[in-house]
Amino acid sequence: MRIQRIIGQGVQALNTNKVRTLFMMAGTIVGIAALTVIMAIGSGTEKKIMKRVEGFGPRALMLIAGGGKDLPPPDFNITTLRLDDADAVRNRVQGIEAISPVAFKSQMPIKVGGTQTQATVFAVDSDWHEAWDWYVTEGDPIAAEDVATLARVCVIGQTLSHDLFGNESPIGEYIHIQNVRFRVKGILKRRGTSPIGTDFDNRALIPLTTGMRRLFNQDHITYVRIKVRDLDQVESVKSQVRQLIHERHHITPPEEDDFRIVSAKGIGDLARGTSKTLSILLSALAGLSLIVGGVVLMNILLISVGERQKEIGLRRAVGATRKDILFQFLTESLAVTSIGMLVGSGLGAAITLILKQTTKVPVVLSWEPFALSLAFALLVGIFFGVQPARKAASLNPVETLR
Amino acid sequence: MIEVQGLEKTYSTGSVTTPVLKDINFRINDGEYVAIMGTSGTGKSTLMNILGCLDKPTGGSYRLDDTDVGSLDDDTLSHLRNRKVGFVFQQFHLLERATATRNVMLPLIYVEDYPEDAKKMAEKSLSSVGLADRMEYKPNELSGGQQQRVAIARALITEPEIILADEPTGNLDHKSGLEVMAIFKRLHQKGRTIILVTHEQAVADHAQRIIVLKDGKIAEDRRVEKQRDPDVELSTLAGGEDEQ
Ligand SMILES: Nc1ncnc2c1ncn2[C@@H]1O[C@H](COP(=O)(O)OP(=O)(O)OP(=O)(O)O)[C@@H](O)[C@H]1O
Ligand SMILES: [Mg+2]
Repeated sequence: MRIQRIIGQGVQALNTNKVRTLFMMAGTIVGIAALTVIMAIGSGTEKKIMKRVEGFGPRALMLIAGGGKDLPPPDFNITTLRLDDADAVRNRVQGIEAISPVAFKSQMPIKVGGTQTQATVFAVDSDWHEAWDWYVTEGDPIAAEDVATLARVCVIGQTLSHDLFGNESPIGEYIHIQNVRFRVKGILKRRGTSPIGTDFDNRALIPLTTGMRRLFNQDHITYVRIKVRDLDQVESVKSQVRQLIHERHHITPPEEDDFRIVSAKGIGDLARGTSKTLSILLSALAGLSLIVGGVVLMNILLISVGERQKEIGLRRAVGATRKDILFQFLTESLAVTSIGMLVGSGLGAAITLILKQTTKVPVVLSWEPFALSLAFALLVGIFFGVQPARKAASLNPVETLR
Repeated sequence: MIEVQGLEKTYSTGSVTTPVLKDINFRINDGEYVAIMGTSGTGKSTLMNILGCLDKPTGGSYRLDDTDVGSLDDDTLSHLRNRKVGFVFQQFHLLERATATRNVMLPLIYVEDYPEDAKKMAEKSLSSVGLADRMEYKPNELSGGQQQRVAIARALITEPEIILADEPTGNLDHKSGLEVMAIFKRLHQKGRTIILVTHEQAVADHAQRIIVLKDGKIAEDRRVEKQRDPDVELSTLAGGEDEQ
């Protein structure tokens, strides 16, 4: 077909002047490579965020003592949140499936005989297991009766169990938390580590009452874990809780809150916020390279049209129409950006794999960046190729051949 | 058949108008061998570009085989050039980076039905101008005369009725020029219409008929009494060389 022959002419021109072609291609290569890497990091980050949201529990809310917009870890020294608050939420907020007030302290000394270690101790009620979807693998969970009787029993995490008892079963054994003796009644399922490296399994659960009165000697709690019944009620529950605590703590909105409510969505948004800076930076690099590359491509093509006036005139003399010339130069531009895109995608994929191997940056390779790159490449090729092609096509053959 | 009546070409740049061709009338029958002469700047190239459908007249009419060229659009003119006309230029105008064969094949890119044996055709065309042994050479590996013969082979590949040559020997030495004229002689014998632009009487005398332009008008239109024969001259040249 005629068009195929014309395209062939465009490709041949690129092939005969490889250095020029490489210069024209450079911007597209860098731009597309950057685009590929950004998108890989973007989906990697998103995947990590989704995992965190999943870990937090999509239907979960945390009512945490202490205000502020950031997400500092709950601070057990803040005294503003009380058990009454948790009871009020339980009784007055609609749509809650499970609710569990918690008081905790980290780095509590724990020992058995001569063995000593440190762990985080959580004072919880019997609903804790359901609120966190976190149950025992062995023995019994914290029961309502334990809370009612201020029982000195505990359920321990697998790391703590291993540190204190090695491979022996700890069930029925006694441990000392500070100076208080507790009987181990259960072992929690393994949960692993948090994204920032906290070991979830280095913990002991004790009855809420025992913890507050015997061990910590305090009447405030650190946070309340709330599990909402339906996913689409999370926001409603959140605002009900906020309003209720405002009332109870006598806070009128412009005043600063002395509590905060964290949801899975909030965690996701916050994490996205921090990864945004990097992705904006890389997007800017990609966009800039594509534009600068496009401008360079256009200018080289324009110069080339100037240099090849005689060739263009000759082609017209032997029968090329204006359209034939237009297509030939558009082909050159499009071929440059398309091949640049392939090279850029390959380069981007290679950089992504290197990032994966050598850094902790989360990355996921997929076909979407490839499709987007192709679209961008064609767009840049046409946008910046059209002017030189038009110029070439509009040349007057008589004048060029003089 | 070529027929021009009251042909005019006026260039206008801004307020300045330059009349180049004024009231040109002639008719060239199929198979004629015509030289267009005149001093520099009289409009020979301008006329030739119009005859080759590369440019349009600003007045009068130009009929090429019963089509009124003046009324055709740009694309149709391109097709016409592709099918009916073969150009030969003083500066050869070859693609520097392409081989002789590729150069000769160039017009075939723009034909409607691309021939299967395009390469064979190019090779045949090159052979017909005596370049069978230079097919894969690039222009910078060829002499001026050889380059001009590649250009002629290119003009011939679409088998056009008309060959338009603008100072084809202008950049060539005497012998190479004669070789080119010998090719034209053969093409003429095969029935092609040949229109040759030159300012040299000696070159024009190879044609059957000479049209002389002066101040944009036809000053003379005459038969050549004693047509020169390039083959004879080439053989005497060869003889002369033998004697030395
Ligand atoms: N685009 C243009 N604008 C204005 N004048 C032009 C243009 N092109 C050609 N001319 C004028 O037309 C006249 C004829 O030019 P043309 O090239 O046809 O001459 P020529 O007979 O081929 O001369 P030569 O023997 O030097 O090749 C010249 O005087 C030239 O200045
Ligand atoms: Mg001229």
